[in-house]
Amino acid sequence: MSSRVKKLAWLSSLLVVSGSAALIAVAIVVDKNHPLSTLSPVGRQGREIAELINPIFIVAGVVFFLVQGAVLALWLRYRVSGSDTGDGEYGYYEDEEFPEQVHGNNRLEIAWTLVPTALLAVISVFTLIALFALDDVEASDEDLVVTVVGQQWWWEYQYHLDGDTTTPPDFVTANELVIPVGVDIPLDIKSRDVIHSFWIPKLNGKKDAVPGRSHDWVIQSEQTGRFRGQCTEFCGLSHGYMKMVAVVLTAEEFAEWRDNQMTPAEMPQGGTAAASGREIFAQQCASCHVVNGITSPADRGGEGTEPDGWDVYGEFNGADAGVYLDIDTLVAGAAPNLTHLMTRSTFAGSIFDLYLGAGEHLGYLDLPASGTLNRGELEAWIYNAPERKPADADNFRGMPSRTGLSPKDIDDLVAFLSTLD
Amino acid sequence: MTAVQSPRIAHRPLGVFTRPQGSEGWRSWLFTVDHKRIGIMYGAAALFFFIVGGVEALFIRLQLATPNGSVIGAGTYNGVFTIHGVTMVFLVVMPMAAAFANYLLPLQVGARDVAFPRLNAFSFWCFLAGGVLLTSSMFIGGWFQNVPDGGWFNYAPNSGVLFSPSKGIDFYAVGLQITGIASLVSAINLIATVLNMRTKGMSLFRMPVLTWMLLITQFLLLFAIPVITVALFLLMFDRLWDSNFFNVAAGADPLLWQHLFWIFGHPEVYILILPAFGIVSEIIPTFSRKPIFGYHFMVASGIAIGFMGWGVWAHHMFTSGMGPLSVAAFSVSTMFIAVPTGVKILNWLATMYRGRLRFTTPMLYAVGVVSMFTIGGLSGVTHAIAPSDTQQTDTYYIVAHFHYVIFGGALLGLFGGFYFWWPKAFGYKLNEAWGKASFWVMLIGFNFTFGPMHILGLQGMSRRIPTYRADEGFAFWNMVASIGAFVIAIGVAMFLWNVYASTRKWRRAGRPDVGPDPWDARGLEWMTASPTPEHNFDSDIEVQKLDEFWHRKYGRDETGRVVRAAPTSQIAHDGSNTSVHLPSPSYWPIVLSAGILLVGYGLIFNLWLAAAGVALLVGAIYGWSLEPPDDPDAAGHHGDHAGELPAADEAEGRAGSPLELEEAQSVD
Repeated sequence: MSSRVKKLAWLSSLLVVSGSAALIAVAIVVDKNHPLSTLSPVGRQGREIAELINPIFIVAGVVFFLVQGAVLALWLRYRVSGSDTGDGEYGYYEDEEFPEQVHGNNRLEIAWTLVPTALLAVISVFTLIALFALDDVEASDEDLVVTVVGQQWWWEYQYHLDGDTTTPPDFVTANELVIPVGVDIPLDIKSRDVIHSFWIPKLNGKKDAVPGRSHDWVIQSEQTGRFRGQCTEFCGLSHGYMKMVAVVLTAEEFAEWRDNQMTPAEMPQGGTAAASGREIFAQQCASCHVVNGITSPADRGGEGTEPDGWDVYGEFNGADAGVYLDIDTLVAGAAPNLTHLMTRSTFAGSIFDLYLGAGEHLGYLDLPASGTLNRGELEAWIYNAPERKPADADNFRGMPSRTGLSPKDIDDLVAFLSTLD
Repeated sequence: MTAVQSPRIAHRPLGVFTRPQGSEGWRSWLFTVDHKRIGIMYGAAALFFFIVGGVEALFIRLQLATPNGSVIGAGTYNGVFTIHGVTMVFLVVMPMAAAFANYLLPLQVGARDVAFPRLNAFSFWCFLAGGVLLTSSMFIGGWFQNVPDGGWFNYAPNSGVLFSPSKGIDFYAVGLQITGIASLVSAINLIATVLNMRTKGMSLFRMPVLTWMLLITQFLLLFAIPVITVALFLLMFDRLWDSNFFNVAAGADPLLWQHLFWIFGHPEVYILILPAFGIVSEIIPTFSRKPIFGYHFMVASGIAIGFMGWGVWAHHMFTSGMGPLSVAAFSVSTMFIAVPTGVKILNWLATMYRGRLRFTTPMLYAVGVVSMFTIGGLSGVTHAIAPSDTQQTDTYYIVAHFHYVIFGGALLGLFGGFYFWWPKAFGYKLNEAWGKASFWVMLIGFNFTFGPMHILGLQGMSRRIPTYRADEGFAFWNMVASIGAFVIAIGVAMFLWNVYASTRKWRRAGRPDVGPDPWDARGLEWMTASPTPEHNFDSDIEVQKLDEFWHRKYGRDETGRVVRAAPTSQIAHDGSNTSVHLPSPSYWPIVLSAGILLVGYGLIFNLWLAAAGVALLVGAIYGWSLEPPDDPDAAGHHGDHAGELPAADEAEGRAGSPLELEEAQSVD
């Protein structure tokens, strides 16, 4: 290579390096439109994690530039120009001066063993402090504890307003975890089948939901808003489609939402489309889906007449449903409680918007009034769910298709579901 | 070597028990026990699987290039990323390292062959059987119908029949047990070789850094493979015969699998990377014209990694709910494993300092490892910070991290090794211009593929998701990564073209001799003709120093200047000694492996097939033990053992115990 070519090569590689570094910097600084980003936390725990790791990113960045700089400097300074290919008989530099044959330097070795060790020791002190601090739950007026149950491929939330997770929950909802702003909410994370992981990146790190175990976690948000999450432990076929949302409301809004959730659904008036929809629901859907006040445990093959659906979540066929159900019992009750479906903004594991045009709307109880029902997607889902979201419905994993329903049946079902607000 | 035999007794008990003859033609490769041929076969098989795993990766990147991708469905996607991981770890990087271990370890310690040549052949064929079984899962019973789909980590209980009803995870459980047998046998063989078959004067601290790193790797394999084997064995019983080791309903704790898997899985990371560290430690001194800086610290840091690697496994489980105390302990232990790795990086840089650096293709790859592995190491430290790991784990940040370690570290190092030792193995160099071009294409593609994944991970993109919503903001960097992946593919294609074109050119030029030492290198392997003659060295080498070969080539004159002491042609052996007694080829390693392969398919599909496999296997073991120890008619067998390495009884009495620790000598 001529020297001009070499200069060009260096210039272009420098351009590439600095250009990509600039791009990366821009991408990290401009963190808008990344609803799952860990770089702009709004929860107390997420913020504490960021405050711990951001200085370490800087230290790592310094080490990165030192090492890469050293490689580059050594390259430029000690590179021997001329043929690199060495096609001589016995190597290509017969008559060449050797550099000084240095074998090592013990002092240097000890230094570069001890310096990183000391640096890492400092980092580990901060790590341990943060680690144990994150385990604490700040006291608050709320006694609320939410049992979070993962299953293929959606999340269930059991609200214990008195904080006692050994008694039946006050109400049960799915996919969207609604919490009041500014308060640490303890979570009790479980799984009904395989391992999942609960993660709302803007609020806190993740915690696995492991069958047979109960994991404590805590979540808090310093702002109201809707924050997306994603199951992050591979959980089988539709793992990628197992999403969730944390909805953070003001204390007043939360109280209003909570009172509404505790109200059972009303039976639709006879003769309406919703009433015939309810009948179809009872035949086609109620073996899995609970609607408080409308379905009964008998629909799910269970015994007893309690209308609140608790039996499914407590004792079922002798197994603690919050722990693990085998496939025969998994079918019963292992589908989202739909009592207040219309107060949610997403459905089907939070992969579809339930309303069009509702945006990041927070007047939660007004959702039905503020957006247009995403009727097309909802009907398509009811008609053939496995086509919309990969599932193994034959083995009770995911919602089976209902392709036997007529368009009118589906219209009636949607009419019934629309009453569930 | 096989045990020392008396050649005067002709062993011909039964016709079938004679040994195969001849060293030409494809048959001779099937029955060879020559460590060099076995090494080449390991390399070829690993490259084949590398192409398979690479194509799988391209499908992943096609699917993720755009939001709501629909190239492959969710089920297929799960299979593709699982088999991609399994292929790259078990069928590419491990055997590629085994290629170098087999080819180079005996040469670097001045031995004639490995300790147990037939077992060595068995290791390769058994590995290939496992590889064939795992790879066949992609098309047996329909395209991607029975492929493992639980991720390479295969967490319970998702790996149970209940949640993964296809036969895919059976392939995983059985296939990895078979490759595990291969790794274990090979580890024992190579440890015995290094500890017992070093030539005169080759004390442990005169062994090249590569020999050390490979030795540590074999010890890691020796202790890590049994752990995964136990886990796979339990999983196999769960899936095939309804046992309840991982059945939560029957009281199992799914964390059992995670602990077993990662107690294997983390040392496995060092199994993948240490051979590359060794290769880099050979290449950088050669092309810096300086000895390795801090030899003892390079060895000691490798040993430290070997030990510390066992105390960090649960950093893969920071979010699994194992409790804050365990998390704290593993967080701290993980942090400090960065220290010995950092020592290596700094020693490489110090070796280059004030050297005369020649950026040949192998040197480019080696420096590429220094640079790229540093990135992977730094992101590794950020995972050790357990609280921040709860944000990073199972995101693309991790995917970025381990690709910088395994691709940017291990694979680049191994490719550098291909270029460096190619003339030793085949007698000609690969083309340098193509080599350099393919290096830069690969490096740029690599950084464009995996660099953006750091950002994607921090922006919250999870691993193992078949697609993402358009409004999640992941589209741009995913597109960049996908383009980068195809650039890597071009780089790999250029490497393959280079192999083809260089071979053709060399043949057309009448196979010119590249000489024993084309790079002016330092290890004993360069002290014999290229390609290495079947018997390695014409006579024993007596080693007096670290880098013995270099010290024979160069000395100092009165003024202290380093000058050539003797021409290489006088020092290196020309391979002309035809009277060396070598172990004969054997039919049985490949037959035994075929039996194991049948047992494998039998376990998955039909126990009668397994029974046939067991019959073949037992027959092969009998054949193995009853075949004559030697073929008296084989070429090279002349009844005299002139130039042979010391027999077992002599070896014990040789100067210095095997564990003798000696200071490296400096030139003076």
